[in-house]
Amino acid sequence: MSIAIEPGAGAPAATAPQAGAIKVTMILSGAVFTLMMVFGLIMRAAQGQWIELDPALFYQILTAHGAGMVGTAALSGAAILWYFSGRHVVLTAGIFWAFLCLFLLGVVLILGAIFIGGFGGAWTFLFPLPALSGGAWEAGAAAAFMLGYVAIGVGFLLYYLELGRQIHARYGSLVRALGWNLILGREDDNPPPPTIVAAAAVTIFNSIGIILGAAVLIASLVHLLVPGFEVNALLAKNLIYFFGHVFINASIYMAVTAVYEILPEYTGRPWKSNRVFALAWNAVLIFVMAVYWHHLLQDVVMPPWMLVVGQLVSYFSGIPLIAVTAFSTFLYVRGSKMTWDLTSSLLVLSVAGWSVGSIPASIDGMISVNKVMHNTMWVPGHFHTYLLLGEVAMAFGFMAWLVRGKTISEMGTLDRAAFGTYLAGAAGFVTVFLFSGAASIPRRWAVHYEEWLTHDRIGTVFSVLVVLATLVFVVRFVTRLGRNED
Amino acid sequence: MQPVVLLISLILMALLSTIFLLAARASRGPGPGPKANAKRTGLIWALTILGVIVSVGSLRSWPHALASTSDALEVNVSGGQWWWDIDTTEIPLGKPVNFNVTTEDVTHGMGIYDRDLTLLTQVQAIPGYTTQITYTFTEPGSYQVLCMEFCGVAHHDMVNEFEVVVVEE
Repeated sequence: MSIAIEPGAGAPAATAPQAGAIKVTMILSGAVFTLMMVFGLIMRAAQGQWIELDPALFYQILTAHGAGMVGTAALSGAAILWYFSGRHVVLTAGIFWAFLCLFLLGVVLILGAIFIGGFGGAWTFLFPLPALSGGAWEAGAAAAFMLGYVAIGVGFLLYYLELGRQIHARYGSLVRALGWNLILGREDDNPPPPTIVAAAAVTIFNSIGIILGAAVLIASLVHLLVPGFEVNALLAKNLIYFFGHVFINASIYMAVTAVYEILPEYTGRPWKSNRVFALAWNAVLIFVMAVYWHHLLQDVVMPPWMLVVGQLVSYFSGIPLIAVTAFSTFLYVRGSKMTWDLTSSLLVLSVAGWSVGSIPASIDGMISVNKVMHNTMWVPGHFHTYLLLGEVAMAFGFMAWLVRGKTISEMGTLDRAAFGTYLAGAAGFVTVFLFSGAASIPRRWAVHYEEWLTHDRIGTVFSVLVVLATLVFVVRFVTRLGRNED
Repeated sequence: MQPVVLLISLILMALLSTIFLLAARASRGPGPGPKANAKRTGLIWALTILGVIVSVGSLRSWPHALASTSDALEVNVSGGQWWWDIDTTEIPLGKPVNFNVTTEDVTHGMGIYDRDLTLLTQVQAIPGYTTQITYTFTEPGSYQVLCMEFCGVAHHDMVNEFEVVVVEE
């Protein structure tokens, strides 16, 4: 079955000039996702003792994998949000190019810090580890790594400043763009579409996250230059995890706009803002900032009420996701007679992966469970579920849509094989992590005990499947970019 | 606890995955009925009530509660790159132990593992702070302390051990 439609029909002219920038960004995202997955495969194979890897190099690769994956998830999410926001507000192309250039400057600094300077302090740069490497790297490498983060952060602040400015110009205020007229039942002849509600919320919480992240980065940089400059390690950890949690969640909340904007082409039912939708996004705005304490549940000197809030919000933040986003997806898909091509399959998968991944995350957010699961493989188990099967699937679905052309057809053999391989590989990969967590295997260990090798080797096999399917998605995207639309 | 957590998680994850699969298949069936939004409201209430029950049940006794110092043995554990120093090598069976954990450099995580390599409890070691946890050992034998927070190039080598012994009263 195939139908012909106009992708992005009804989009204002503002979108078209920036499609090139978005496609360049998605090529970069696809390439870096692939490289970082290969890094992940190397680490799993090294843990399984199938290859030999010096621990120092392992931790450098770990650092690159973490920073690279978080950065690329954010980059691809930002490209998706920019593209679809351009359907509703006029955005300045130069700002996106400046954002992209600053991002690339940051990437160069980070890669140089890791693979030339030897920095291996993990993407979380937990204070004061960057300054105390035990001889593994010099202060200059740590400084270059953190300056790379600063460059990326400045780029993102520019991005959100422009997005927030244009939303304000078009909708009058960020409060209105957050759907408060819908919540209060007021008349609104120009209600914000779902993409704009998402853009307004992400602009607010990720700007706050990046500013607090910049504060701890600057403090850490000063500490590198002036070791006598003391920073409270617990305060620094709070700031780092606030920034890190908000930033990685923002990447999913930006990318989900692909679901809002693309899926209606398949279901024939426009995704509309309503009171429940606006309430959910306003809850997300609060929850995403209040939940980061679940990363500090074993920091027992934290005020107990903060840990309780961390546990409660871990659970209750799943309700908007499951009862609104996932439930709405069921309703939009049900009876739609939609065509299942690579785009629609990946986008529905992404909502499923995101929702399913929230379950082990919420359970780990319980203090009593966290006592025996924190910093075990359970943690990469849950975050890989909602990133690999969530955000990254959204990005690949968006890429497939960008090169789809006007005709929607059922998946061909190669697409079907790649989708099935990706789903099987990713589901197996994350399930092994969860089993490893339940077996108490600590995360971020370069060298594993004999008892753990079976887990690592099965995980390695599944990661090969993920890399192969990803290669197909990315090569398919790049080769189809130059084709004329059918 | 870990096998139970794994089982519950996998059942819930499989259940939600199945719902998504059925929803995808339902694309060929009839559209959503008029009661769809009422079902959503019911789902929100059900999840909220479940959350309240689970939260109250899991927080009624504070998971980080410490044994009183008069009842417990005090054990001091200090961490650094890349070693653990434990001031007691033999810990009595069945007696609450308060671990007082400090670090001399970066953040570490003190995880206590039994002989089957099962993680029993853990706490973060934070520069400038003393963190405390209580644990009562119910089996004699060798236990290991492993680092649970990434702390640099020899993080995986940061291991020490102690013995839990039966003490005659």
